[in-house]
Amino acid sequence: MDEKPSFWVRHEFLLRRLHSLTGLVPVGAYMVIHLLTNASIWNGPASFQAAVYQIHSLGRLLPVIEWTFIFIPILFHGLYGLVIISESQPNSGTYPYVSNIRYTLQRATGLIAFLFIGWHVFHMHGWIHSEAWRQLIDPWGGQFAPFNAASTATAAMQQSMWVSVVYVVGVAACVYHLANGIWTMGITWGLWTSPAAQRRADWVALAVGVVVFALGISAWSGFALRVDADDPQAMEAMRAVEQRMLERRLHEGLVTEEEARHKTAHRSGPRAESPEAVTSPGQAQEP
Amino acid sequence: MSTPTVTSRPEWINVRILRQDGPGQPSYWQRFRVRYEPEMNVISVLQKIAADPRTAEGKPVAPVAWECNCLEEVCGACTMVINGRVRQSCSALIDRLLEENPHEIELQPMSKFPVVRDLVVDRQRLFRALERVKAWIPVDGYYDMGPGPRQSQAAQEAAYPLSKCMSCGCCLEACPQYSRIELVRWEGETDEQFERRKLAAYDRAFLGAHAISQAILFNSHPTGKNNAAERLEALIGPGGIQLCGNAQNCVAVCPKEIPLTRSIGLAGRQTTIYALKKFFDK
Amino acid sequence: MAQQRVMVVGGGLAGLSAAMKLAELGIDVDLMSLTPVKRSHSVCAQGGINSVNDQTRQEGDSEWKHFDDTVYGGDFLQHQPPVKEMAYWGPRIIDLMDRLGVPFNRTAEGFLDRRRFGGTLYKRTAFAGATTGQQLLYALDEQVRRWKGAGKVRMFEYWDFLGPILDEDGVCCGCVGQDLVTMEIRAFPADAVVLATGGCGLIFGRSTMSMSCTGSAVSRAFQLGARYANGEFIQVHPTAIPGADKLRLMSESARGEGGRVWVPRKPQDPRDPREIPEEERYYFLEERYPKYGNLVPRDIATREIFNICVNEGLSVEKDRMCVYLDLTHIPRKELDRKLGGILEIYEKFQGVDPRTTPMKIFPAVHYSMGGLWVDYERTADGGLKIGSPRNHVTNIPGLYAIGECDYQYHGANRLGANSLLSCIFSGLIVAPGIKNWLAAQKKAASERPASLFDQAVRRQQERHDELLRRAPGGENPYLIHQELGDVMTRSATVVRHNAQLREAIQKVQELYERAKRCSLSDTGNWTNQNVVFTKALLDMFPIALTILEGALARDECRGAHYKPEFAMPELKATDPVERRREAEQWCDRFEENTRRWLKTTIAQWIDNRVVLSYEDVDTSLIPPRPRLYGLVGAEVIEQVWRERQARRGQPAGDGKPAEERRPSQQVVRS
Repeated sequence: MDEKPSFWVRHEFLLRRLHSLTGLVPVGAYMVIHLLTNASIWNGPASFQAAVYQIHSLGRLLPVIEWTFIFIPILFHGLYGLVIISESQPNSGTYPYVSNIRYTLQRATGLIAFLFIGWHVFHMHGWIHSEAWRQLIDPWGGQFAPFNAASTATAAMQQSMWVSVVYVVGVAACVYHLANGIWTMGITWGLWTSPAAQRRADWVALAVGVVVFALGISAWSGFALRVDADDPQAMEAMRAVEQRMLERRLHEGLVTEEEARHKTAHRSGPRAESPEAVTSPGQAQEP
Repeated sequence: MSTPTVTSRPEWINVRILRQDGPGQPSYWQRFRVRYEPEMNVISVLQKIAADPRTAEGKPVAPVAWECNCLEEVCGACTMVINGRVRQSCSALIDRLLEENPHEIELQPMSKFPVVRDLVVDRQRLFRALERVKAWIPVDGYYDMGPGPRQSQAAQEAAYPLSKCMSCGCCLEACPQYSRIELVRWEGETDEQFERRKLAAYDRAFLGAHAISQAILFNSHPTGKNNAAERLEALIGPGGIQLCGNAQNCVAVCPKEIPLTRSIGLAGRQTTIYALKKFFDK
Repeated sequence: MAQQRVMVVGGGLAGLSAAMKLAELGIDVDLMSLTPVKRSHSVCAQGGINSVNDQTRQEGDSEWKHFDDTVYGGDFLQHQPPVKEMAYWGPRIIDLMDRLGVPFNRTAEGFLDRRRFGGTLYKRTAFAGATTGQQLLYALDEQVRRWKGAGKVRMFEYWDFLGPILDEDGVCCGCVGQDLVTMEIRAFPADAVVLATGGCGLIFGRSTMSMSCTGSAVSRAFQLGARYANGEFIQVHPTAIPGADKLRLMSESARGEGGRVWVPRKPQDPRDPREIPEEERYYFLEERYPKYGNLVPRDIATREIFNICVNEGLSVEKDRMCVYLDLTHIPRKELDRKLGGILEIYEKFQGVDPRTTPMKIFPAVHYSMGGLWVDYERTADGGLKIGSPRNHVTNIPGLYAIGECDYQYHGANRLGANSLLSCIFSGLIVAPGIKNWLAAQKKAASERPASLFDQAVRRQQERHDELLRRAPGGENPYLIHQELGDVMTRSATVVRHNAQLREAIQKVQELYERAKRCSLSDTGNWTNQNVVFTKALLDMFPIALTILEGALARDECRGAHYKPEFAMPELKATDPVERRREAEQWCDRFEENTRRWLKTTIAQWIDNRVVLSYEDVDTSLIPPRPRLYGLVGAEVIEQVWRERQARRGQPAGDGKPAEERRPSQQVVRS
């Protein structure tokens, strides 16, 4: 009559610890690297594009690595996080202590981060690499073309004011979630145990938060503010750099024609707000 | 500090109590009026209601059921939610409560335990958790075997605060990770079957801060250490330390100011090491 | 034979130590308690637990001296063998509790730290912060939980003991209990029943005791024929914080650290105490006892505070009796360092800072030395025969009593920090005796005819149902309880006068009659606290009457029982010869009083009234001697007394000669 506890209950400790661990490594670590890469736009489109090529140089290994170190951990962290949130009963209204507000915020930001990352992957990458799907979701998703990294990211970020708002809020949520998560992780794993040590760890978490948020703002502003997407000349200059870099790689055989077709912008314009904009001049040449 | 001897105090205290006639019954609010006296606490208000159980409108009702014993905040019996916050009713002074809300005092049973009646709740799960973490010293027996292990002052000073836990349940009530478990008896289920099913449900649910802290207390005792592994097994088992969400309300509401979050941190450390050892050494 | 079981009623220090020890001896135990055992009244004990220890031993202390202090403190009213045995077990009990994980305070080197308590010259008292009772109780609670997990102990928490079940031969074979949640009444067959239900402070309305200390369990045994001994001996603590719901203890250390007790000279002076000038304050202890000042012995402090409020009408407040205990002249820093913990209690419950405002305190009923009469078996050397089924058995075979609810260890007055010891000790030693009692039984209680148990349940069910059926509009049990408390507090606490006691007996009998006409405000059958309280109230009366009748009959002063009419005089003469003659007279009178009154009061409940008889006290180990603390002329009396004893070839009674006769090594039991 006493049924055996389910897998999830029996391995609760391991799962929670994995959840805690994946939050830092690889998810948190990936986020920092991701923001760092994106912030390199401030060094110019060539720098950013080079970083993207660096990533894409993994070629066929890339999906494997992405799934192993990014998607699966994020999905696990996110989905299991939803389970954790569903089991919690936040009460920071009744007990408005700082740590309790942080607890509630951790769950709120987790939820925001989950939705944001889902949307972000859709917005930039369109979730699925299928032509028909891409056509369908355009202009709402799949805005980013790896071989036109800077120009497409810039265009995507300036698609609407709301995109920027969502990115800033989303990044802030991710950063809070990471920084506060590092603090709770230190307790969970037994790194800082005394209240005094935990107060000191607050500073560590705060420092991490400030630095990563600064990074996030750099990355966002690098696309949102550095170049005005409505300025055809500036955009054209970016695309020219990207085109040069692509051609060199094609020439050197580092990138195949097939790959280039998939990873360059299918269409591009100052803004993809209206169908008209899609056909605006200065479209990147189809290779 | 000045203690005004003459302040305008109300003649009457309005008390709003969330009542429930029995398990599974609907709850309802009832208002009472109690004549103000100086130096009252919630217990004395409830005593007055018991002596003359009539609502504010004068309707006779069954007296309000509540639990208490020592009335000096060492037995842990009289926990309830007062003006929205969990605490002991013996040390909840009316003058202070009226400062929080001059119009009314609001009493509710703890929400994380099944209501037995009115303000009385069933805290069996709380005591069951102490059994789960084997919160005792595994002595051979009670014959005279000479003194216990010698311990430093520092060890005593670390252990004593943890040992003051009176199982009141405040930490559990305030914990956003601790949710109420209330089973309903099935048709035809015997007492024993129901009890077994209830304990099984309790045993896979969150232990709570009090039990985690007791596990740490006994793990730090020179003799208690001998079965530390059993306690750590309980802490990494279903409903163990992993369910702590670090909201740290437990330590904020603990009437005995027990360093519960420190215990939780130590439990985190001990289970980390234990789990790694278990994984690599076994 | 079917499996035998023992029912332990009460989960304080005594009940838990008995349950734990019984389980260790392989006996199945049921434990019934009004509250979860961890919430028992033992948690309230603050000070500590006494035993001789390595340090005091080297200062000349011994088990014998602890024994002597205890009987001297108790004014020789205890049978000495059990007390002696307890003193010798003291060190072992502390060792055991230490092993069980009690966080006793430590010395820098890691030994148990000790403090000095009243009534002794030695630092015997081991303590765990300011909550020693709580810590000891938790250690035992943990062990019992361990046995519960092992299936050896079954817990019945939130159960009320309704009475023992006696067979046709008057042997106890179980008890009736009531589930406080479902109100179910059922019988528990048991081959022995151990009452460990604590004191009866609620009879006095508010006291320092917990709400479960109604004395009802003891009364239910008493009403079925168990004898109650020394009921009139009630310890009153001089300083408690009067609260609307309870009187909370204010430790003696407040006076020890320089606290001054006073009242305004003008009755009920409405001014803020801090604005009353020195000359308008009456430091009555300092004025009346210039030598001891505020640190007069407990009983004197209690009597003086009581007297100033009750007889002299100088209480600080009009409606409530209290005096000031003033610490405000001591620097705040010093107070925090020395008295931090106890001042926080005052602040927490009174909402007033005692560092800036004088505390208001009044004596409060604290402990009941009396209790169920229990037997013991003496060894040749004056100790207890361990394993004897007679130890701690009441006059009802199979019904045992331990802890505060027995009468055995504290005589006429309890020494501080001895109660925790007596509770654990009695719990530990009752177990082997019960084991032998069980072995001598031919039949298990569970094999007795069901009708025996059914009948007992039916009787209780009828009483319960009758109460629920009563028409509304009768007496209010809570108000009657208040009245009972008032009468008892007024007449039977600090100072007792026969006229007052007679009046009180009449009043209590009236109240008893009224209480029988109580009607309930809750007539339901689910967690009905109203009916449980009403039953407890009704059962308070036999004990209340026992206290009053015992006090009325005892025309002397002994320990906590003080009747000014019968107080021993002070020496008045200044001429040495005359003074010597007075001292001789004094000693004559003392001896006469000893012959007349050094007897245990035994109460029985026969035909709904208290019947008293007296029993001689075994004082064969330490002959009684006068307690002269604070008495004018003490030196002369003491000298006369020594000479007399020497003439008779008896020790003067400080324990030393006896100790020489019986070196401690021989007496230590293995």
